[in-house]
Amino acid sequence: MAIITLDGIHKVYRTKDIETTALENINLQVNPGEFLSIMGPSGCGKSTLLNIIGLLDKPTDGTVTLLDTDCGRLSDRELSHFRNHNLGFVFQSFHLIPSLSVADNVELPLIYRSGLSAGDRRKKVEQVLERLEMSHRIRHLPAQLSGGQCQRVAIARAIIGNPAIVLADEPTGNLDSKMGSEVMSLLHRLNKEDGTTVVMVTHNESQARETDRIVRFFDGRIVG
Amino acid sequence: MRQKIKQIIYDMRHQPIIAWVSLLATAMSVFLIMVVVMIQRVQVIPYAPESCRDRLLLGAYMHVGCKDNNYDSSAGMSYRVARLLYENLEGVETVSYIEPQTEWMEVRGTTGESYMVNGRHVDANFFMIFDHPLVAGRYFTTEESESVLPVCVISHTTARNAFGTTDCIGSQLSVDHKMYTVVGVVNDNTPLARTGSGDLFIATGPDDPAMKSYNDEQIFGPVAAAMLVREGVDFQSVRDQVKARYAVIDTELAPSGRYTIYHESPFDQETIAAGIYGSNSTPDKTSGRVIRTCLYLILLIVPAINLSSMLHSRIRRRISEIGVRRAYGCSRSRIITEIIAENFLLTLAGGIIGVTLGVIFASTYSGLYENMENYGSGATPAISAVLNWGTVAAAITICFILNIISAAIPAWKASRLSPVEAINAR
Repeated sequence: MAIITLDGIHKVYRTKDIETTALENINLQVNPGEFLSIMGPSGCGKSTLLNIIGLLDKPTDGTVTLLDTDCGRLSDRELSHFRNHNLGFVFQSFHLIPSLSVADNVELPLIYRSGLSAGDRRKKVEQVLERLEMSHRIRHLPAQLSGGQCQRVAIARAIIGNPAIVLADEPTGNLDSKMGSEVMSLLHRLNKEDGTTVVMVTHNESQARETDRIVRFFDGRIVG
Repeated sequence: MRQKIKQIIYDMRHQPIIAWVSLLATAMSVFLIMVVVMIQRVQVIPYAPESCRDRLLLGAYMHVGCKDNNYDSSAGMSYRVARLLYENLEGVETVSYIEPQTEWMEVRGTTGESYMVNGRHVDANFFMIFDHPLVAGRYFTTEESESVLPVCVISHTTARNAFGTTDCIGSQLSVDHKMYTVVGVVNDNTPLARTGSGDLFIATGPDDPAMKSYNDEQIFGPVAAAMLVREGVDFQSVRDQVKARYAVIDTELAPSGRYTIYHESPFDQETIAAGIYGSNSTPDKTSGRVIRTCLYLILLIVPAINLSSMLHSRIRRRISEIGVRRAYGCSRSRIITEIIAENFLLTLAGGIIGVTLGVIFASTYSGLYENMENYGSGATPAISAVLNWGTVAAAITICFILNIISAAIPAWKASRLSPVEAINAR
C-alpha cells in the first residue's frame, strides 16, 4: 500500500490574462520507506508537486492521498494537524527562524502538538540534536551557524515529530559539496534507520542516483 | 511566552526604529490617556478636604427672569434665599453656608510680613462637612459664626508664615487690615478641592456685612450652600425638594412680573468638575463626557493606526517565518492569536512605561497649579487618590484595546497568506 498517492493532479495558475499549467495529469505512488528523487529543469513543476504533497498548496484538479487520507477533504485546521503529525519539511534556504535559538527552532513542530509538556519537548529536542551532532550549538542563533549546520538544524526540526514523510526541496542547493554530501548521508541515515519516506527535489544527478527511485519531470509532466 | 519575549528582544535589536517607535508610541498613548483620566478623576474622587464628594451637593446661584421684557438677572444667592431653598431638606445631614469660591486675602501675623492666601467665609457647619483635621485649637462654634465674631481657622502653612509656629491659638491675625482671633490650625489642603479648600476660614453668618445681599429684596448675594447628603439618599430627591421651594420665591416675585429660572441646583461633584460657568445657565456634564469620550477615542485610534502600520511592516519581514510555522502545523487562528499575544506583550511594555510616566506626572501634579511659596499652602492630594488599582486596570485595558485595534488587521492578513507564497517570500 502506497504512503503517497497522487491521482490525476493538475495545477493551473490563472491570472486575468494568462493561464499557466504547472502540473498536468500527475499520477504517482510512493511506497513507505522509499527514498524518491524528483528531477527536472527549473520551472518544470517539481517544487509545485512537492508543495502539493506537503499539503501547502492545493491542486486545481485530482486527489492527494497521504497515509490513506484523502487530503482534499480536510479543513485548514485538519490540514495543519495532519502536517504537524505526519510531514517534515527541509527547505533549500533552511528557513530557520532567526530570532529563535537552535533548540527553539527544533522544538517548533512540537509547540503545535498538544499533550507534550515543556520538559518532554526539551528532552526530545536534546535527543534529536544529539543524534544530529548539534548539541554543542543548542543555544546558538541561526546567524551563528554555518550553512551545513543550519541544514542539520532544519533536518532536526523536520524529524523531531517522527513524521512518516520528509519532503526536502533541494536540501543541498545552498551548500558546498562537502556539506551537501554530509546532509545527504544524514537523509539516507534517517531513511534507513527510521524507515522515513523521503521525497527530495534535486538538480544533482549523482545525489539522485543514490536514492531508491528517480522521477523525471518536464513541462509539468512525468517523463520518466 | 518565552519565545514571544525573545522575538520582541530580537525585533528591538534588528528592527530598532520600528520596534522602539511602537513601544514609545504606546507609552505616550497610555500616558496621555492616564493624564486625561487623572485630571478628570482628581475632580470627582473623594480626598481631603472633600472626602465626602460621594455625598456632597452644592446649591449655588439664583436666576430671575421678567415676563414683560427680555430682562433677566443672575448671581449668587443671598443668605435668606440660600436658607429658604436649602435649610432642613429631607435626606440632608448637614448644610453649610459658604462662599462658593476662595478669594485672595492679605494676612499679617506676628512675623510682620504680609502674605496672600486663599480665604473663604464659612459657617461652623463647614467643618462638619469638609475634612480639615485640626493641628491645634478648635473649629469655631455655631454661636461664633452666627454672631459673626472675628474668629478664624488657618492652615498649617499660613500659621507658620504668619506666626512662625502653629502654636498660635488666640493670636491676632490681620486679614485685609481687619483683626481676627485664630481659634484653630488645620492641615494644609489642596486647591483642587474647589468647594472645601482654603488657607483661611473666617466665621460668617446671616448678619456678616461681607456676606450681605446685593439687592433690597434679599435675592442675590455671595452665598452658596454645601450639603452633606445622608448615606444612600438619591440626589434627585433633594433636587426635587429644592425645585419645589422655588415656588415660594416665585410667589414673592410674581407681583413684579418676575419669576425664577431653575438650573438643576444643587449640583453633584461631576457637575461641579464639569464647570459651573455661569449663574444663568444649566451646567452641562453630558458634553464633558462626550468630549472625554472623543478624546479617549482619538488618543486610542490615532496611535492604533500608526501601530497597526508599524506592526504590518514588522510582520512583512517575518512572512517566510509565518509560512514555516504554517508548514509545521500552526493553524490560521493560532497565527492570529500568536501575533496578537506578541503585540500585546509589546503594548504592555509600552503601557508600563506609560504608567511610570503617569506616576511621575501624578507625583508632580501640583506643578499644574501655580502655588508660589508665599501664596497659600497648595498641598496636593496623595498619589494614591488618583493612582490606584483602578487606574492601573484602566491602563491595562487601554493597552488591550490598543493592541486589538492595532494588531487585528495585520494578524488577520498574515493568517490568510498562502504557506507556499509565505515561505518563498523575500
